[in-house]
Amino acid sequence: MIAQIGAVTMINLRSIPQRWGMSLATIFSIALVVVVLLGFLSMANGFRATIQGSGSDDIAIMLRSGSQAELNSGFGRDTVRLIETAPGIARTADDRPLLSSELYVIVDGRRRASGTDANMPLRGVGAEAANLRDGFTLTAGRMFAEGSNELVVGEGVIREYEGFDLGQTIRLGQNEWTVVGLFSTGGSVFDSEIWADIGVIQNLYQRNNTFQSIRVRLDNAEAIETLRSYVEDEPRLDLDVSNEREYFAQSMGGTQDLIMFVGWPLAVIMAVGAFAGAWNAMYASVDARLREIATLRAIGFAGFPAFVGTMTESVLLALIGGLIGALFTYLVFNGISASTLGGASFTQVVFSFAVTPASIIAGMILALVVGFFGGFVPAIRAANAPLLAVHG
Amino acid sequence: MNDGTLIRKSLFRKKTRAILLILSIMTAFLIFGLLGSFSRVFTGGADSAAADRLVTVNSINFTLSMPYAYYERISAIEGVQSVVHNVWFGGYYQQPTQFIQAFASNIDQYFVVYDELEAREGSLEDTLARRDCVAIGRALADQYDFTLGQRFPLTSNIWQRTDGTFTWEVDVCMIFEAETGPTNYMIIDYEYFNEARSFGRDEIGWMTLRTGNSELNDAVSQRIDTMFANSRAETETTTEAAFNAAFVEQFGNIALIVTLAVGAAFTTILMIVGTTMVMAGNERRRDVAVMKTLGFSAPRIFGHVIGETVLLCLIGGLLGLGLAAGLIFVASEALAGSFPGLAMPTDIVLTSLAIMLAFGVVTGLAPALNAMRLNIVDGLSKD
Amino acid sequence: MTDALYQLTDLSKRYTRGRESITIFSDLTMEIAPKDFISIMGPSGSGKTTLLNLLGGIDRPSSGSVVCDGVRIDNMNQGKLAKWRAANVGFIFQFYNLMPTLNASQNVELPLLLTGLSGKERKRRVQTALEIVKLADRAKHYPRQLSGGQQQRVAIARAIVADPKVLLCDEPTGDLDRATADEILETLQVLNTELGKTIVMVTHDPAAARYAERELHLDKGRFVEQEVMA
Repeated sequence: MIAQIGAVTMINLRSIPQRWGMSLATIFSIALVVVVLLGFLSMANGFRATIQGSGSDDIAIMLRSGSQAELNSGFGRDTVRLIETAPGIARTADDRPLLSSELYVIVDGRRRASGTDANMPLRGVGAEAANLRDGFTLTAGRMFAEGSNELVVGEGVIREYEGFDLGQTIRLGQNEWTVVGLFSTGGSVFDSEIWADIGVIQNLYQRNNTFQSIRVRLDNAEAIETLRSYVEDEPRLDLDVSNEREYFAQSMGGTQDLIMFVGWPLAVIMAVGAFAGAWNAMYASVDARLREIATLRAIGFAGFPAFVGTMTESVLLALIGGLIGALFTYLVFNGISASTLGGASFTQVVFSFAVTPASIIAGMILALVVGFFGGFVPAIRAANAPLLAVHG
Repeated sequence: MNDGTLIRKSLFRKKTRAILLILSIMTAFLIFGLLGSFSRVFTGGADSAAADRLVTVNSINFTLSMPYAYYERISAIEGVQSVVHNVWFGGYYQQPTQFIQAFASNIDQYFVVYDELEAREGSLEDTLARRDCVAIGRALADQYDFTLGQRFPLTSNIWQRTDGTFTWEVDVCMIFEAETGPTNYMIIDYEYFNEARSFGRDEIGWMTLRTGNSELNDAVSQRIDTMFANSRAETETTTEAAFNAAFVEQFGNIALIVTLAVGAAFTTILMIVGTTMVMAGNERRRDVAVMKTLGFSAPRIFGHVIGETVLLCLIGGLLGLGLAAGLIFVASEALAGSFPGLAMPTDIVLTSLAIMLAFGVVTGLAPALNAMRLNIVDGLSKD
Repeated sequence: MTDALYQLTDLSKRYTRGRESITIFSDLTMEIAPKDFISIMGPSGSGKTTLLNLLGGIDRPSSGSVVCDGVRIDNMNQGKLAKWRAANVGFIFQFYNLMPTLNASQNVELPLLLTGLSGKERKRRVQTALEIVKLADRAKHYPRQLSGGQQQRVAIARAIVADPKVLLCDEPTGDLDRATADEILETLQVLNTELGKTIVMVTHDPAAARYAERELHLDKGRFVEQEVMA
């Protein structure tokens, strides 16, 4: 039986070049299905990687109760003072709390790719801000000087937006700013931000003594409960306390979901089209070899090898298509930088397309499913080839 | 019997094959119909924009505010026929997840600037009579079952009142509809809103205005922006269409992504249908030779083959487009909140029809030329 | 001999296959009278079918001329030739060559699509043609539902439905058993004698050839005429 299967399969595979048109069409239609699926998945994965890389379990973020997003939040200096003395917060060697009270405004940045304006967060931060972002490094220049119109810019901003290169002067409204430093947080959301001194931002944007968020480093991840009960028990405080990692996952997860919700159905619908194409191609393949198959049956071959031969051909075409699609996506999409309006921040989040092993596996499975079902009915037909077809 | 019969019979000569091809063509047009309709929700703003409508925002970014005084100064500018000033309210109903798109505006001017809006229940007069009256779009009213005369709490996730709460009690005094464009929003009186808020008082978010003549747009834009140059809040005035397009662009190049995905789907069927039709053509050499022998002219045979692929693409395409339209129709109610005004636009239907015809011709071209050129003697002898 | 239906003059046919040039026949001259029934016999490759193709205007001679009913057809353009075929000749093939997707009456109606006849008139003619071949009761059957003899009768009906002067038959009984073949040949004979169709039939079956009034033997591109000895 094994020998029979081998013989029939070889006949099948050798016949592929005779129908190269339809075989190629099958391969490429399956490749395109995989490209579309992996394209969307790599977008979603890239966005997710950025969100997941943002925020830490050791950092708590506090916003005005019910505001849900920094942009909607607002509170005064007295709130900040109360938090400065709160329990559970890590302290520096000279016993200052590791805390940054922040405020951002949205300014226009010019997208390199399209030349159109997009919302960029110009974040006013305190002195400890860098210590409240894991992996923060200044990659060029220096930190802004307190009280000056100086900016430091995330590497994602540089990648996607023009006018923020080191040393450049930027005019926002009536004010001139100078870029004095570039920073990286290793691909997190903060790389899409522009930072300046909180006092200067408050002053220039008439938000004196107003803050949107307070970030603190906790003694440890569990200390958030200590902090939370302190905030709840203090009647002068009206704040929501969250773990920063969860905050990002919640406020920005929607975009990633949306990409997945578009990508999967799209790929599945296309897969149905490719499935019809594969079926059709395998039907043609069986038709073209009906006489050969019947001859083999007439000399004593069983029906099952004919079935296996056709299935092998179909699955092999799908496999080739899937590999081509995956390779193409990896070479073309992987690492591409993109930017979209991210969830609650209402500002651009820069991320990189990421073709992950898991998504490649998903793509290959989809390709093989198409190949398997596309070959199934034609393979049954091959197995039941009428012996009379031997006469052509 | 006529040539149409011949084309139809020939198409369904191998039923399985025809059905499979129809299925694969269907999927491409299903994708085109769905993506086209969904992306229109994002990009549609540019289409429903009036040609002479301008938007004035803070030049740093449209989310930043400007003083209320700008409104009066703009009203006096030559070429400005009507102006409405707006503040983003950030509203929700009962729970933060029940989002409500609400603007605090001078309601009387809103309906002048957006003259495509029409009061269907209640009237503008009623609405202006009391400050706690709001005008609600039909789609929003349907979403939360708001009815005329209903009083409900409209809560802001941004604006705190001087009394410490975030809620404005409002009465539904008008429900409006629009011939084109979405109606998934509401308008609350600016004065009623402004006097109660605890910060940002006498600041407005943006203004929308009419020039009455799109040729005046550039001049009026320039006059406005020059007037506020070197002031605390410089302005940037663009056409409503340009403003909407720039906003959509912020989500990324949706048009490009849609084009690529639809392109991939169409490329797939082009290859599948194209190669299959060439193969089908090879199977029918003898039939074609017989038809020619009977006296059917080469151009007529060419027409038959093209007619067959066009028919194939029309059947598959219309089924796919019909399915898309059905799904869009079903989904439009369920998704009214996140995709307001979801519907299949006429131009998508027309474009689809054009693509179906084009695909029919393109995929039929090679087999049709083969059939046309087929030498009768060769066609009859080979089999 | 100006009253001949066909005049073939100095007819040659050569094929080039690769570098080789194959001559099927050369300088063939003959005439066919109206209402004649000719059978052409000869070994394989003698050019029987090629001759039939030239008569039917579906192939062109390398040199020489073919005149039918006073019209020269060997140098007509393809479009005119197609019209000429539709109006003047009916073909009957060995393997029937019916359209598998059309039923018997639709197959017969096919040539009428090339005429300006009304649907009603077409229906009437199809009916008549099917009655002549005694298949009126099989009008709605598809070729695969018909026997070989029945299929050939449908093919004959298709050949005569537009009322052409000439019927060209290429091995019309080559795929049929004796009894069925005789039926078909009798039908052809009736068409010749009662409807006055000129018939040229290529066959390698001597029994079939005997139904004709004249038997021609084609050998190495030359005719050897023999009288019918019925």
